[in-house]
Parts: sequence; C-alpha cells; structure tokens
Amino acid sequence: MRSNTVGWLMLAPTIAILGIFGILPFIYVLYVAFHQWNPFGANPDMVYNGANNFRRLVFDGEFLFSIGVTIKFAFFAVLSEIALGYLLAQLFMREFPGRGLFRTIHTLPLIVAPIVVGSVWRLMTTPSIGIIPYFLKSWFGYDLNIGRDAGAAFTLTVLMDIWHWTPLVTLTLLAALLSLPKEPFEQAQIDGANRWQIFWHITLPMIRPAILATVFIRLMDALRTVDEVWMLTSGGPGAATRYVGLHIWKIVFPKTDYGYGAAISVIVLYLTLVMCWLLYVALVAPRQKKQEAE
Amino acid sequence: MEHRSDLDEDVPGTGPAPQERRGFLPIRTNWFDRLFVGIYLFVALELFWMRFLEQSIPLTVCHVLAIALTALIVWRG
Repeated sequence: MRSNTVGWLMLAPTIAILGIFGILPFIYVLYVAFHQWNPFGANPDMVYNGANNFRRLVFDGEFLFSIGVTIKFAFFAVLSEIALGYLLAQLFMREFPGRGLFRTIHTLPLIVAPIVVGSVWRLMTTPSIGIIPYFLKSWFGYDLNIGRDAGAAFTLTVLMDIWHWTPLVTLTLLAALLSLPKEPFEQAQIDGANRWQIFWHITLPMIRPAILATVFIRLMDALRTVDEVWMLTSGGPGAATRYVGLHIWKIVFPKTDYGYGAAISVIVLYLTLVMCWLLYVALVAPRQKKQEAE
Repeated sequence: MEHRSDLDEDVPGTGPAPQERRGFLPIRTNWFDRLFVGIYLFVALELFWMRFLEQSIPLTVCHVLAIALTALIVWRG
C-alpha cells in the first residue's frame, strides 16, 4: 500500500504535465470541432453545430486531396528512411578510416531546426541561384523548377525529409544492432547460412521492436510535417505539396475557421492512430500466431 | 519484447496485467484494446455513412449500428 502511494506521488508531476499540456488541449480541440467558430467572421460567437464540420470535411475535395498526398509523402519518406537508415547502420557497424568523423557529420542534420532545413533547401533549389538546378542543368540538361513542376516539388519534399531524418533512423537501428548477441550469428555461419538468410531469419526478427518504434515515430512526424514544406514549396505548385498540416494551417490562420480546423485536426489524429495500429497488428499478429502454433 | 506481466514480475506494488484473450480480432487483446478498436470503427462507420449513405438513410441508423458493432467487438473481439 505504501509503495503504491509513493509510486503515485512520483508519477504525479508527469501525469499533471501530460494532463495540462496533452489531454486538456485535446479535449478542447474535440469540443471546438463540434462548433461553428470564426472569431473574425459575421458571427464571432462559438455556436454548437453537431457533426456538421465532419459532414463538411468528408465532402471537401481539397482536404481529401491533402490526405492522399500526405499519405503518399509519408509512405515514400518513411520507407526510404528505414531502408537507407538500416544500410548506414550496417556501414557504421564496420571498421573503416574516419568512421567517427563520418558518424558525427552524418548526425548533424538532426540538430538543425526544420524551418532552417526548409530555408536552406529553398535556397539550393531556387531556379537561377540554386546549386541543384545549376548542376542538373549543366550535367543532365534538366530544367528544375519547383514552382512549376508538381512532381519535382513533391520529390524534393521527400528528399528533404530523407536528408533531415535518416540519421535518427540510423542511430536507432545502430543501437539495436549493437545490442544483438553474437552467438546466433556465429551459429548461423557455422550452419552455412548466407547473408540474406542471416538478415531475414535472425537480424530482422531481433531488431523488429526497434524498427516498429522508429516507423511509428517517423510516420507520426511525416503525417504532421508543416514548416519544412512550407519554407520549400509553400504547398505549391497549386496544391501539389499541400500536406494536411499545411491545409489545417491554411484553414485555421488565414481563414480563421477554428471549428472546421479543429475537426480536421481530430480526423488527422484519428488517421494517424489507425495507421499506427494497423502497422502494429501487421507486425505483431504473425508472431503471436507462430507462438501459439508452437 | 516480454509480456508486461513478465516485466513486472518482481516489482512491488504492481497489479496483474489486464487479462488478454483471443477473439475474432487478429491479435490477443485486453478490454481496453477492444474498446479502442470499437471506437476506431465507430468513427470510420460514421464518416462513411455521412459521405455515402446519409442522403437516403438517416444518421441515427448508423449510430445504432456503430454502437452495436462496438459492443460486439468489446464482448467477442
């Protein structure tokens, strides 16, 4: 009984902070989502309007498009980051000259603020002054203009995200790889397993929890990305890179439609949870079935 | 990853983990997991109904169906 009280007392600050900064704002957003509220509109009062904001969003073509393009962005960015991050983690497991220096340099993007990353990439990709359009033009004859080419703008936002966040994946997977015991690998080599078999049957199952955690973190981040993309493309050309975070920003700030913006935010949170849960089930269900079969 | 009850085995003051079981859902779940899944599907069904069916069938029908589905998942899932 005593240890329970001490435990609760020690948890109390965390629970209080989580409640004040996490749960209360969420409840408030949920409350606003069921209201019509535009403080700078004809009627500045908050008026209850039931599920009308949600009814509006399921017919909103711009919102549905932004959801689609955000999922596409998250898929390409997270998949590339996991693959590249794993390869770099394997590289850092080996001894080579300058490994420490390379590891430090490779981690530097993580400490740069997203808004700065967006500014730097904007400078590098601006036609006529950017280094990337210059070399693409002089080496391949390709005229890069992200203000005009929707495909190039999308690709560059994905590349920027990969550049920024792959080091995080590398560090996580490197920690997971370094913590693996050596014996199963030695046994597999003695039994004549090739590199692919060792990867598929030993390494991958053993680092699966780390991969799962990393994918969750990166997926959630990718689905709410705003500032980098805002600096690089401002959501353009047209609405080609207007990811859902940018769409919410546009609804909430320039249009000051707080009720509808809150409804979109709630649905984005819902979609994020659904995707993470489905991913969790896809990774956990086969293992549980295997355990039950044994 | 070990089961939560394994991790907490020797820690004083920790109660037993919520009881998990297997129903028609693809993983073992406790009652909170099933309530969570039920709420997911409740919201999905409501949004789907508003988009495609509300013009011909009132949303109240969806509320009844969604609550029944949530109860089924919590009970049998």
